[in-house]
Amino acid sequence: MLNYNHTIKEEKSYQGLQLSEIKPVMKLIVRGKKREFLSAIGKSLNMVLPTKANTSTQSEKLTALWLSPDEWMIFSNGVVNENTNTYDTETILNKNISKLDLGAVVDVTDQFVRINLRGDKIYNLFQTGSPFNFNDFKSKIGSVTQTILAKIDVIIHNQNKNEVNLFVRRSFSEHLFAWMNDSASRL
Amino acid sequence: MFLINCPFCGEREQSEFKAGGEAHIVRPKQPTELSDDEWAEYLFMRKNIKGVQFERWNHIHGCRKWFNMVRDTSNDQIKAVYKMGEKPPVK
Repeated sequence: MLNYNHTIKEEKSYQGLQLSEIKPVMKLIVRGKKREFLSAIGKSLNMVLPTKANTSTQSEKLTALWLSPDEWMIFSNGVVNENTNTYDTETILNKNISKLDLGAVVDVTDQFVRINLRGDKIYNLFQTGSPFNFNDFKSKIGSVTQTILAKIDVIIHNQNKNEVNLFVRRSFSEHLFAWMNDSASRL
Repeated sequence: MFLINCPFCGEREQSEFKAGGEAHIVRPKQPTELSDDEWAEYLFMRKNIKGVQFERWNHIHGCRKWFNMVRDTSNDQIKAVYKMGEKPPVK
């Protein structure tokens, strides 16, 4: 990623909780309603988009999160090359989706910051600032939710037991990270 | 503080939602032929009753989808939730 300033500068570690940013990660928002859209995505990426609410699907390289009945976020599992802003996945989708008028593909790599949380106190932290009921979310790996945390819109993805990905808009990320550190320090 | 059952995401807390006013207001077919009073009636006048009301809501901090709700405004009891374009359940 060129000319890229990190808002989160360090990793933080607390008793039962570690916070860090994973970067650079490719992130795309895809939107579409048609049946052909879903099959075209499936064919181009070799993965199916989740159609059930609040779930996600994963392939070797990519993860797709359900955001809304006609909106998904796709992000790369690993980090991508720091020296370019073009991604193969986006190029393929532009060719097979946007150009054929099946749906929309938007690169949101720079818009969202991916914060990785690990440890057994993740949900104790969320509890302090979110109205969402995490009971079912906690036990189902792959669950996704869009909710508010400390009054900030976030997308939360249950990656693994005691490991959660949190996506937040870049302009809010510094504040949210500071809030999370403050809250984590008194858990 | 109350829970709203979003037709797309499931049960969520009210602070994730935004109220969008009265539902099922039909736009006049020929707006140019209306008098100013009739236009103002369509544009601004809302029932705002105490009791069961049909409303539009948006899950703005979640899936960002609009839907309809039947709510008792006197005690915030939600009678029904249904998607846009669907027939309202009989009162």
